[in-house]
Amino acid sequence: MSKLTIGFIINGQKKTIETTTSTRLLDLIRDDLHLTGTKEGCGKGECGACTVIMNGELVASCLILATQSDGAVITTIEGIGDNECLDPVQEAFIETGAVQCGFCTPGMILAAKKMLEENPHPDEEEIKRGISGNLCRCTGYQKIIDAIKLAANRLSSKNGGRSEKDD
Amino acid sequence: MTERYVGRNVYKVDAQDKVMGKAKYPDDIYFDNMLYLKIKRATHPHAHLRRIDISKAVKLPGVVKIITADDIPQVKNFGLIIKDQPVLVGIGQKMRYMGDALAIVIAETKEIASKAVRLIEVEVEELEVISDPLRAMEKDAPLIHKDGNILATHYLEKGDIKKGFAEANVIVENEYRTTFLDQVPLQVEAGVGIYDEESGFIKLWVASQWLHDTQADVAQSLGFPKEKIRIIQPVIGGAFGKKEDISVHIHLALAAIATKRPVKLTYTREESMIAQSKRHPFIIRVKTGATKEGYLTAWQAEVIGDTGAYASSGPAVVHKGMYHCTGPYNVDNVKGVAYTVYTNNTYAGAMRGFGTTQMAFAYESQMDILAHKLGIDPAQFRLQNAYNIGSSTPNGQILTHSVGVKETIKKAAEIAGWKGGLR
Repeated sequence: MSKLTIGFIINGQKKTIETTTSTRLLDLIRDDLHLTGTKEGCGKGECGACTVIMNGELVASCLILATQSDGAVITTIEGIGDNECLDPVQEAFIETGAVQCGFCTPGMILAAKKMLEENPHPDEEEIKRGISGNLCRCTGYQKIIDAIKLAANRLSSKNGGRSEKDD
Repeated sequence: MTERYVGRNVYKVDAQDKVMGKAKYPDDIYFDNMLYLKIKRATHPHAHLRRIDISKAVKLPGVVKIITADDIPQVKNFGLIIKDQPVLVGIGQKMRYMGDALAIVIAETKEIASKAVRLIEVEVEELEVISDPLRAMEKDAPLIHKDGNILATHYLEKGDIKKGFAEANVIVENEYRTTFLDQVPLQVEAGVGIYDEESGFIKLWVASQWLHDTQADVAQSLGFPKEKIRIIQPVIGGAFGKKEDISVHIHLALAAIATKRPVKLTYTREESMIAQSKRHPFIIRVKTGATKEGYLTAWQAEVIGDTGAYASSGPAVVHKGMYHCTGPYNVDNVKGVAYTVYTNNTYAGAMRGFGTTQMAFAYESQMDILAHKLGIDPAQFRLQNAYNIGSSTPNGQILTHSVGVKETIKKAAEIAGWKGGLR
């Protein structure tokens, strides 16, 4: 368990931090940086509660060693929106009632954002696939799907109108 | 009031914190100088503990203290309905399932605590493992608790069951079995504890479903006055019944008292699965009688609920299940018996529906099988037997309002595109 120093950019901030070779990225984010919006639900990469965006990819931070993030650009839920201006995906989650206990919500929002970046006009099946790595035990998913549809519509009208796939 | 809320969509008060990742769940709470706990759990589902050796574990650098039952002779058992669950299993005492706690390891980091747990050596004298409640009910089965393996027996009687079966043209008798289910709230059991020596207060930040019952149970177990136990509710990451029982609470309190430092205990998912409550598996034996016109005349049920190693909510769950043996259907003659049975499985407690969900599998299956035998459309068969205002349940409650079952059946049939007929 040797110690070493790594550097990365997280939510736009440069960080240099001492960690160990056995520390998971999830532990670094939570225990060292106290960015506790990233959650642990299973520790096995099954539930998606620990989802972050690393170098443009959705990753389960419980399956990544902290040292693998050396030089990376990372976004956690704390890097999305702010008090004055929530992200449209965050707003849509609130408005559609997609938030219940909220434990899956940060990972779910990051997964939704990533999906909408790649596919701004997803149909229902594509939305389901897009959040298939994220488990929710409260909602039954329908309102989360509604939230992502609402966010997609708003984002696409902002970017010049609805698409044919919207319903 | 009416204009502000009723008939309007109101945003959840904590939704903004939750979408921003700001909401604080138990594991999100940090204090300076905080220590981490890990629990050494049972090594066998049913065994006497003969020896526990912490000498190697306690020498591991970073281990602050290890608490075993010898250190806490004053601490009492806990439990929601019956105080049958030990805080720590001591020498000469029994482990009754794989979740029983043998030692509390307190260390500077989670990693060190986990490593120390693996260095604890245990010797046990193995006993017969009872994983089947039917085996537990046999006369020669070893006793899991001293007063017997049948923890509770409840009876139900309405009308005249003999007369009911005599009036029946068709009688259907079956056995149904349901399995264990974990509630799987996305957030596992977790908490932070502090002991303030000056005031004598124990403060626990743990997500709990029964704050005041938990406070009272922690207090009686530790021998503290209730007002000295403060349970502060953080945001709950789901519960679904699983957080009705005590989990990390007493272990946190003991570690905080022993070290005078803030302490945190977070289960792994595996630990949560093994150590914390489940939905009861039921064995349901049902005999149902109906006339050839399709009216229920008699319903007899025997329910065996496997409550695992400890009672938890078991006596309430299993007999509630029995009261719901007929589902939402009118039957004048009902007889039932429910057994809540100890086994060496993970203990079963509350989960959404509290015993009634298991019963639905049995009564709706009976309804389908009867409809088929009688040659009646199953939706129609349900409709003509379903509760109305004024119906009486198997335990004699007269339903005076909010009886929507017929409308529900009609609506469900409509949405499903049910055209009637037989299946």
